[in-house]
Amino acid sequence: MCVKPPPSPPPPIASAPPVLHRIAARQAERARRPDGGIDTDRLLALVSATYAETDVDRRRSDRANRLMAQELEVALAESALQNLRFKAALDNMNQGLALFDASRRLVLTNQRFLDIYGLDHAVPGLTLDQLLSNSPCLSVSTADEHRRLVEEYDGAASAYGARIEQRWPDGRTITIERTRLVDGGFLDTVADVTEARNASARLAHLARHDALTDLPNRTMLRERLDEMMRNARSGDRCAMLCLDLDRFKLVNDTLGHPVGDALLVAVASRLVTLVRHHDVVTRLGGDEFSVLVQHVTSDHAIEHLCRRIIEALTQPFEIGGHHIQIGASIGVTMVEVDALDPNVMLRDADLALYSAKAGGRGNYCFYTPDMHVFATRRRELEIELRRALKSEEFEVHYQPQVAIGTHAVVGFEALARWYHPERGIIPPNEFISVCEEIGLIGAVGEFVLTRACRDAACWPDSVKIAVNLSALQFKSGTLPAVVAHALRVSGLDPRRLELEITESAMLDDTASVLKQLRDIKQLGVLISLDDFGTGYSSLSHIRNFPFDRVKIDQSFVRDLGTNSDSLAIVRAVTGLCGSLGILSTAEGVETLDQLNILVAEKCDSAQGYYFSRPVPFVETLPFVSRMHALHSQAA
Amino acid sequence: MWSKQINANRESAMFPAAPDLVIVFGPTDRLADRTLIDRLAHRYDTAMIVGCSSGTMVEGDRLDDDGVVILGMGFDRTELRLAVQPLPSSDLSFAAGAALGKDLSADDLSGIFVLSNGLNVNGSALVAGLRTVIGDSVALSGGLAGDGARFADTRILARGEHHADVVAAIGFYGDHVRFAHGSAGGWQPFGPVRTINDAAGSTLRGLDGEPALALYERYLGEEAVDLPASGLLYPLEIWDPAHPDVRVVRTLLAIDRDAGTLTFAGDMPQGWKARLMRGMFDELINGASTAVHHALDQTIAWGTSPSACLAISCVGRRLLMGQRTEEEIAAVAAALGPDIALAGFYSYGEIAPQNQTAVPCLHNQTMTITLIGECA
Repeated sequence: MCVKPPPSPPPPIASAPPVLHRIAARQAERARRPDGGIDTDRLLALVSATYAETDVDRRRSDRANRLMAQELEVALAESALQNLRFKAALDNMNQGLALFDASRRLVLTNQRFLDIYGLDHAVPGLTLDQLLSNSPCLSVSTADEHRRLVEEYDGAASAYGARIEQRWPDGRTITIERTRLVDGGFLDTVADVTEARNASARLAHLARHDALTDLPNRTMLRERLDEMMRNARSGDRCAMLCLDLDRFKLVNDTLGHPVGDALLVAVASRLVTLVRHHDVVTRLGGDEFSVLVQHVTSDHAIEHLCRRIIEALTQPFEIGGHHIQIGASIGVTMVEVDALDPNVMLRDADLALYSAKAGGRGNYCFYTPDMHVFATRRRELEIELRRALKSEEFEVHYQPQVAIGTHAVVGFEALARWYHPERGIIPPNEFISVCEEIGLIGAVGEFVLTRACRDAACWPDSVKIAVNLSALQFKSGTLPAVVAHALRVSGLDPRRLELEITESAMLDDTASVLKQLRDIKQLGVLISLDDFGTGYSSLSHIRNFPFDRVKIDQSFVRDLGTNSDSLAIVRAVTGLCGSLGILSTAEGVETLDQLNILVAEKCDSAQGYYFSRPVPFVETLPFVSRMHALHSQAA
Repeated sequence: MWSKQINANRESAMFPAAPDLVIVFGPTDRLADRTLIDRLAHRYDTAMIVGCSSGTMVEGDRLDDDGVVILGMGFDRTELRLAVQPLPSSDLSFAAGAALGKDLSADDLSGIFVLSNGLNVNGSALVAGLRTVIGDSVALSGGLAGDGARFADTRILARGEHHADVVAAIGFYGDHVRFAHGSAGGWQPFGPVRTINDAAGSTLRGLDGEPALALYERYLGEEAVDLPASGLLYPLEIWDPAHPDVRVVRTLLAIDRDAGTLTFAGDMPQGWKARLMRGMFDELINGASTAVHHALDQTIAWGTSPSACLAISCVGRRLLMGQRTEEEIAAVAAALGPDIALAGFYSYGEIAPQNQTAVPCLHNQTMTITLIGECA
């Protein structure tokens, strides 16, 4: 048997000092006894303290982490709520917003942005190009157009702070503005300004067009003239036609403004059809229009156009069941475009229009420089007339009216005179029409009436005073009151006052004129029809109003003895008056022959140079006495 | 120049020569001990003796919670002058600082090392008072005396007496003395950014409309009973929103439960932002290392090595790190090497120039390093 020797013990392991954690090493150092050994209790106390400190530190960390997490949770909840509020605010903004990060990727859009571009949704992370690739609004037309709009947006908006405006294929107008953000991203603001732009365009159109006819107005005419002048070529000529509707006022007064307005619209349409597309028809105001004709080749072409316009506007208009017949007068000026002055051009055309109208209705007239001289003179006259009224330069002269049978003075006709400080005495035919045009006739008429009544009150009761009325004096409707006042302040017996009107006064607003005449007649005043035979000579006028006297125009009286037609007319009028019981007076008697014929025709009274020129008031009573003496001698 | 730190407990330890300046750090009760004071005065009868209390002293690479650490220094070409001003109330901090500045001011003033009582002081105001007089060209550092986690009684030793309510400052004069400084915390901000909405001076009442005291109590949990000391675990990083790059750390000094207020070792401007901070051991230790290296880097230009290092760290770091606090001192000592005397204490506030701007100010929760040397 073999006995195995017991295994030899393992060789002792070389005991290397353990590698200690630096805390453990320090603790071992602190627990070392002076003899080099370790104080186990001291060491355990130090180790235990370290564990305790570590526990405390871990608990602190846990607690801090938990609390921090709670606080962050609250903060996140608040932040989420805040985000909801922001989103609600953003989505309800009028502008579309798109926010991009520094790498030009979409972060968010608001609902309005999606609406403007017609997008269902927007995925964060897209580029602008990708985002807009699905926009149906940009794709209405071609792919090229789509690309152009996107590139314009991205390119132009990159100039931060600059706002670009795009007109989209669907007709909308969109503004886009880009704002740089601190994080390197950017915020695009998009607004649909279609409504605002349309409104601005409407306003701009209104500012340059006439609201009633939608024709260009003076402002736009001026712009076109300026534009023409800028583009003028040497020798290029243009024409300005100013036209004014004949009898438009009558339409307005009798049929009312709505019909008048509709007539203006119809006139505008006819005018537009008569001109070329680059000519400019403008409504200057009221019933005044202008036509700017460009590239004029000949005067003849313009004359032709004028005739066509007059002819077209003379054709009847059917408006609101009314058959309306008007006409037009045209003033024309032609200039070379490079020497054009818009103000002068319109003024000259207006002067030519004035001349056209003076020459009768339905005419056209070309401007000539003497019109300007005339107009200047007239303007001076206006100024002087206003001054004359203020400084009482007007006077009244009287022309006697004599009974044909007895040669007794039966009355005087009052005739206004202007004692001009430099030009001496000016007769009424030189200033009354101007007074009518500038609205002075009321004041001048009232002055004459009042003065005549006052003077007449000094004459014998058998002598009447005749005062002429202008048709315009009926406009205000206050004439009866003015007459009553003149009578009251003068104390003149109304039966000694005779007011003379012409037939033309009966034409405008007949009803109002007739009413005023009746009111005046009610006062006891006599009414006579002046200048009979020259105008309409309408017997209906004599029938419509109970005139007390008819005055036969001097043109017929002058021809008595030389023209048998005149004699026939005089005879007809005196005969008519005789049978209607109306007095007749012949004007302009200059010779004994004329007087003898009037005697034969049984005319009641006469006036004229044969008896006397108009004389100042101081000479009236002596004349009455002289005639009375003659009458007595004859008797 | 020579320097050496010794421990008063070891009676055998000796300085190589009679020191010109003796700086003493020790527990409050030891510093108030007449016997010790008299013995020091007797032993170093030709030296200027200045000191302050603390719960933990630095002696070389070790910490000592009980012993008295004495740093002796002998100068060859530098004059010293001591100034002491009463500081019975923190309201007077600015005035006390300005008075010290006047006491020490001279054309050849090179540096000031200041030690203040740690409880009745606004450290920011104290520094501001000093700076208004001495300007920014004079090196200024120091600290507020400590009392461990007790916050009950701090002492300043000066002119042979111990005081609870004074501030003392040593002026260094001449062209030869050199100073270098470093300061770093290593604390990490965490949690939400808050706004100081209710504060006056160094007293804070509200953050984000919430009582600040309640916030601290919540975070401290069961340790809230140890306030204000436990408040040191969570300093506040604060900054002016207009200058978010310039941030300072404020440490809690006192609380008033009745008033619901917290008092910090520096101003708490209303409207500034604030964020809680916490310390991770390794980060704090790295902070200490950063501070000493920052200071050492400045000494390269001296042409000579620094002789002494005064390491003043915050009591908050001590409370948080426990036994591991010694590691931050070990890190400082390792960086300095064996030839530089190292002494210091755990304070209620550190004073040193800012690393970036070199403008002196009050620091909280940092390790601050003051290196002193003397050139030929």
